[in-house]
Amino acid sequence: MSGVTLRNVTKTFGAVKVIKGVDIEIGEGEFCVFVGPSGCGKSTLLRMIAGLEETTGGDIEIGGRRVNDLDPKDRGAAMVFQTYALYPHMDVARNMGFGLRMNGWPKDEVDRRVQEAARILQLEPYLDRKPKALSGGQRQRVAIGRAIVRDPEVFLFDEPLSNLDAELRVATRLEIAKLHGTLGNSTMVYVTHDQVEAMTLADKIVVLRDGRVEQVGPPMELYRNPANLFVAGFIGSPKMNFVELSSGAMPDGTPVAQTGTARTLGFRADALRRSADGPLAGTVSVVEQLGDAVFAHFRTPWGQELVARFDPGTEIRAGEELRFDIAGPRHLFDADGQAMDAALRPAA
Amino acid sequence: MADATMGRTARAPARREAMVSPRARRTITSVVLAVLCAVWVYPIVWMISASFKTNNEIFGDTGLIPDAPTVENYARAWSEANIGRYFFNTMFVTVGSVVVTVIATALMGYVLGRRRFPGRGLLMGLMVFTLFIPQGYTIIPVFELLTTAGLGQSLWGLMLATCGHSVVIFTLLFAGYFAQMPKELEEASRMDGVGPVKTFWYVMLPLSKPIVVTVVVLQTLQAWNDFLLPLVITLANPDLRTLSVGVYSFRGEHFIDWGGMNAASAITIIPIVILFLFLQRYFIDGLAGAVKG
Repeated sequence: MSGVTLRNVTKTFGAVKVIKGVDIEIGEGEFCVFVGPSGCGKSTLLRMIAGLEETTGGDIEIGGRRVNDLDPKDRGAAMVFQTYALYPHMDVARNMGFGLRMNGWPKDEVDRRVQEAARILQLEPYLDRKPKALSGGQRQRVAIGRAIVRDPEVFLFDEPLSNLDAELRVATRLEIAKLHGTLGNSTMVYVTHDQVEAMTLADKIVVLRDGRVEQVGPPMELYRNPANLFVAGFIGSPKMNFVELSSGAMPDGTPVAQTGTARTLGFRADALRRSADGPLAGTVSVVEQLGDAVFAHFRTPWGQELVARFDPGTEIRAGEELRFDIAGPRHLFDADGQAMDAALRPAA
Repeated sequence: MADATMGRTARAPARREAMVSPRARRTITSVVLAVLCAVWVYPIVWMISASFKTNNEIFGDTGLIPDAPTVENYARAWSEANIGRYFFNTMFVTVGSVVVTVIATALMGYVLGRRRFPGRGLLMGLMVFTLFIPQGYTIIPVFELLTTAGLGQSLWGLMLATCGHSVVIFTLLFAGYFAQMPKELEEASRMDGVGPVKTFWYVMLPLSKPIVVTVVVLQTLQAWNDFLLPLVITLANPDLRTLSVGVYSFRGEHFIDWGGMNAASAITIIPIVILFLFLQRYFIDGLAGAVKG
């Protein structure tokens, strides 16, 4: 297995620059997730690694080899597509072995590899079925099997769970996580717009926005210490609460201690504690009962919607007036939206 | 609540009483369609019937069932009128033109449907423009071309010329079908290390089966029934005649052999009917798919 390195990689479509100088180092055996909103360039970046899109500038290396000018087949990468891209007229076994057969591999070896992949993915009973006779999850497993038989240096996943329903998505997500271990910790690059997928699967998350890397790091590092407002808002569910500060005070004039020159105060839903004399007041607008937590969305006196997390079973009603203390970690951002410091504990 | 319900009922428009029950409507539709079908089929039935009658009986107004059925017309058509030879010629021209047309139009359609290249729009525009040129205007230039290539007096030349009739339509059919296929199929094949020719042959062409069948059926009909082109090309060489031209030869200067002509016509349509019976499902799927695409 090999790592992947991107150095000042750029991509333009006509006059539009979609990737604006990206540097990423993905270690051998690492599970790296590219995450970002639609149109941020994450799929384009993955396709550039695969060789399906030409690289306008910079270098892409796989296993220490510069692969910019190599055909997709020579890069040592295999890709799993969002739409599965299975050949509808071939059965599962032929789908998985098609590439090897076309490249002149001996039939015995092709069969052995297909059987091995089918065993890993529990597809043995379905080898003679056509894709239309399979469920969405099984089709996605066949697509993964097609990648496995090639024994690639790097696996590339392009939003592989997007076409699955919610239940199957969770199950397949777990299978992909297990697969990463089963395949000897192979290097995997995974694209998604779903931050929950990113948090649960990744060793390393790359947050992208508008063709640029916003932050790279392990999931909890990004969660605890977001580098800027965008990452802070993107990672974590529900989204982080942001309050604009003016001279160290909230919009209603309530002072907030130790904020310095910060322009934005950020805190997550679980950082709020109900407190009769807390500085943050609000009227509950919606209550979401999730079973293991209760989320109360409340409207502040200056008309902003924020959210607080409560323990399961907490009785809260819409219309109730509440006051909160910011008891958990606080995040401060300057006028440019950049984090001013690591998460700050509240003043005692 | 009751008032509200009554109010709604009162405002609802009165239902029109059906003039005819659904069952009666179906019966009437079936009868009308059966009559139309009979009108449509009658000439073929008459032709089959006449092929089993003598020339005298054909004009004796004896109805559709022959008084004394005879296969003499078939024997005469097959041997004396050389229909056996014409049958082979037609088969050669048809099979050859179908093979060439399917391969050529599928390849052209694949490129036009899947690749973006400069002048693509202009090329397609020119192709569509040729549809408006009547066949009669192009026969002499086509004949000249074949003569220049040394194929003016051969079945190969006739076969190649026959390929040209519907190339544009078939190419556009393939282009439309290929254009709607997801690009991930080709990309997956590329990632698998499969080249563009093998991708076309093993992935794209098998997936376009409905269009392949449509083209096979339409080109077979076209080649099998073509009259004007084979008439011109085989004028100087009767041995190269196809069935449609051969059937015409039953018309002499002073006498028309109606029995032989009908027997020859019956022989002519048999392969077409068999082909359609086998492929009609795919054929209809292909046309429906092309329209939907």
